[in-house]
Amino acid sequence: MGKVFRGLAVAVVLGLIFGFVFGGVGVAANTTIVFAVGGAPSEIDYWHKVISSFEKENPGISVDLLRQPMNTAVRMQTLVTPLSSRESTPDVFLMDVAWVGQFAASGWLAPLNDFVSKDHYDLSVFFKKTIKLADTYRGKLIALPVYIDAGLLYYRKDLLKKYGYNHPPVTWGELVRIAQKVQAGERKHNPKFWGFVWQGKQYEGLVCDFLEFIVSNGGNILNRKGEPVLNSENNIKALTFMRDLIHKYKISPPNTYTEMTEEPVRRTFQSGNAMFERNWPYAWGLHNSKGSPVKGKVGIAPLPHFPGHESAATLGGWHIGMNVYSKRKAAAWKFIKFVESYKTEKGFAMNLGWNPGRQDVYKDKDVIAKAPYLKALRKVFVGAVPRPGVPYYTKLSDVIQKYVNAAIAGKMTPKAALDKAQAEAKRIISQYGGTTK
Amino acid sequence: MREQKKKRILVWIGVVVIAFICLSPFVWMLVVSFAERPDFLASEKIPYVFTLQNYKQIIGTRDLHVMDYFKNSLVVAFVVTVAAVVIASFAGYAVSRMRFKGKMAIILGVLAVSMFPQISIVGYLFKLMTAIRWINTYRALIFPYIAWVMPISLWILVSYFMQLPTDLDEAAMVDGANRIQALIKVILPLSAPGIFSTSLLVFISAFNEFMFALMLTTDYHARTIPVGIALFEGLHGQIPWGQMMASSAIASIPLVILTLIFQRYIVQGLTAGALKE
Amino acid sequence: MMFAKLGRGAVRSSSSESGLAYLLLAPVVILVGGLILVPVFGTLVLSFFRDVTFLPPVKFIGLANYRRLLSDPDFWNSTFVTVMFAVVAVFFETVLGLFYALVINEKFRLRGVMRAVVLIPWAIPTIVSAKIWQLMYNFNYGLLNYLLVHLHLSSHPVNWLGTPLSAFTSIVVSDVWKTAPFMAILFLAGLQSIPSALYEAAMVDGASMFQRFWNITLPMLRPIIVIALVFRTIDSLRIFDLIYVLTGGGPAGSTTSVSIYGFKLYILGDFGYGSTVSVFTFVLILIFTIVYLKVGRFQEGMKR
Repeated sequence: MGKVFRGLAVAVVLGLIFGFVFGGVGVAANTTIVFAVGGAPSEIDYWHKVISSFEKENPGISVDLLRQPMNTAVRMQTLVTPLSSRESTPDVFLMDVAWVGQFAASGWLAPLNDFVSKDHYDLSVFFKKTIKLADTYRGKLIALPVYIDAGLLYYRKDLLKKYGYNHPPVTWGELVRIAQKVQAGERKHNPKFWGFVWQGKQYEGLVCDFLEFIVSNGGNILNRKGEPVLNSENNIKALTFMRDLIHKYKISPPNTYTEMTEEPVRRTFQSGNAMFERNWPYAWGLHNSKGSPVKGKVGIAPLPHFPGHESAATLGGWHIGMNVYSKRKAAAWKFIKFVESYKTEKGFAMNLGWNPGRQDVYKDKDVIAKAPYLKALRKVFVGAVPRPGVPYYTKLSDVIQKYVNAAIAGKMTPKAALDKAQAEAKRIISQYGGTTK
Repeated sequence: MREQKKKRILVWIGVVVIAFICLSPFVWMLVVSFAERPDFLASEKIPYVFTLQNYKQIIGTRDLHVMDYFKNSLVVAFVVTVAAVVIASFAGYAVSRMRFKGKMAIILGVLAVSMFPQISIVGYLFKLMTAIRWINTYRALIFPYIAWVMPISLWILVSYFMQLPTDLDEAAMVDGANRIQALIKVILPLSAPGIFSTSLLVFISAFNEFMFALMLTTDYHARTIPVGIALFEGLHGQIPWGQMMASSAIASIPLVILTLIFQRYIVQGLTAGALKE
Repeated sequence: MMFAKLGRGAVRSSSSESGLAYLLLAPVVILVGGLILVPVFGTLVLSFFRDVTFLPPVKFIGLANYRRLLSDPDFWNSTFVTVMFAVVAVFFETVLGLFYALVINEKFRLRGVMRAVVLIPWAIPTIVSAKIWQLMYNFNYGLLNYLLVHLHLSSHPVNWLGTPLSAFTSIVVSDVWKTAPFMAILFLAGLQSIPSALYEAAMVDGASMFQRFWNITLPMLRPIIVIALVFRTIDSLRIFDLIYVLTGGGPAGSTTSVSIYGFKLYILGDFGYGSTVSVFTFVLILIFTIVYLKVGRFQEGMKR
């Protein structure tokens, strides 16, 4: 037994040495940069292709793809941990535009201005508004857009024609009228048919829909000075309209506020059970895929607006940034440039159906041939509205989600909901709003 | 007699109910892990097709790192188990058989520690590990885990040691052995069941741990399998349940096997000291 | 308990023994002290600072975080959720665990097998069981809704994780499933230490099954029930893993426990306020432990 015990003691010591020496952060090769990205298997496979092209053109630099989960909140957390602990990897990563603000304010993103000026990098090829509002922090460029998303109105071209209309609605009032007429007619043989499906469940997507409704009525979440203006008259009217869609006009289903996120909305429309849909551009490809009941019958248009104001689309999408603690910034910049190159961006559009962050790709002949709707989309993207780029955005979003969902569920009046949201937003800003752009 | 029979029936009903409650989720996990499509219950149109592809994918796809996570968990749990047993044996011997000042304080201190919520520790631990650059390494987990399992290890080992009369030590020392030798040659062999119970419970505890691993590791170099499974997500709301259940099955194998084979020791460990009045 | 015995020394020892004793204890003291006590204390210290990653610098602000805690509705909501959860879950765990133990305690052929069966939920990693339940709760293709609808127990599927009350219930159900085995094991040990002579005497007196249970089993089990309750309540107040996977704290904060709330603050980057929440979690558990011990001892006193 003594021998066994001695053996165990040795094992302990060895184990601890093992743990000390070998366990953990891998030994890095000469110039290897770590690139963290998530996505569907097809997207990851494509990223591998992008990486091999890059490595061919840049011998001496190899890129290690660190695969991440797809859920946005989880993805953010897996970046927050290494960045908070000042790890040098991942060197380059993709960020949801919604968290660029927090990352920038936390000082985790390396400024790219020096790289840009040294290489005479042309920034005008990107969407100006996006660069200004999302990718710049305190005058420094800290990210570049890889692909853009913005909310769109999908509609059934065939049904529009069938019921005697010749163009998609421009105002919300028109949408209601058309939706009611079509719904009444279609319900005769399809009781599951709804006029308008959109994301109303209590999650981040609800804030995107909410933003579109309120901005299309001249309102917003924060004003130009960064102060919350949630309970403005315009916002209350817009939120009341959202609620009425479900309870008064009854063109949106009651599970809008309990279940409707991107996929349930898309599936409802795709199975032929809706006239209008608010969703992201990704739905287009799926609606027109083989076997889709609505293939060839779908049109897209900018979202409607309230009279006297303009259409609004919430800016989504993913941006690429560099870790401020990276030890291989020069190589990282080369990779970023490669990802943002015309060729690569065009590749994203052609192969993955992504909407490039570069404006010039939208005019490409091949791209237009493959995705003719991109021309229309470009206009929408130029005017896309970002969510507040503040570092405490997640907290703000939680508050908005909670109260907007309560209002559209009929649990609170829109005015009470927005008053409460405004009060809490003020509290959050007084806690965390130390600095503004 | 009537009551005997009534009782029999009730017991057998109870057995069936218990088996159903305890096993059905586990069986469900296996069923889905072998399914081509995890949503086969959604409609009659979706068939159940038995397939090994989920397992093949998670084992074969390097990007997914499932086997890395599994390896990390096994290594960390094993090292922690061995270290914890050794350290707790030394300490337990001192506590149960030696006289010294501050004994009560140490005992109560260690027991009190078992009450602490992890959230009260992890924030500072994160900052500490960041400062000494241990984030995302095995050691960032091993040392906190050893500390974390000390209460249960001491609890079990001390209760075993206490059952052994001190004459044994004295006899050994009369024969010329010192304290340590007495511990190693006499006490430990007799406490083998206790050591075994401790090892099992510590291994299970370390393997299962989540919050520390979530905050202190960042990628496949040190991430453990509970975190790997928790963060295993899919695209736009389509979660790859098949692969997730397959990962879960793999993660469960060591623990289920250990439990089934050594349940006696686990039970003894859990009830150690709890019944001594 | 065994503390009394520990207080007395053991082998005849000399004063130099103390040195050896301290050496033997050193690893434990260093590890537990350095990696648990120090962090807890460190968290306490952090709670007096404003430490937000995107709002440098770190600044001492005294009790400001605590004042914020007192007026923070989200925090009080999480406290309420945590306490409710602990009370409800521990109650059902105890009942179910007792049921398991009573059945398994009976002499029948498959007894050993049943003990193993009952341990399975406990043996599966917590995260794994959380993921399995998450799938079982799935609205469209989860096992629960399938059984509910096909066994005609409900006319339409339930949105388990989507509405506040059902989400809370779902968390409780999953937790009870996972932890009832632990209770069962403890109770089983307790049951086996009850002398069968007591039951035989009661049966001779004509006591029914229920009467025997109520008058013999329960009182004899009381000490171990109290111990089990203390352990499990402390553990329930710390609940994190299950909620993290099943609901992330939603919907509408209806399943946000104090640990989840503190964790979210850490992820947001607010280490100062997150530490304040953590300190409070610790205090909460301390309060419950003291209450339990007082009540437990009170019961003991009553018996005498």
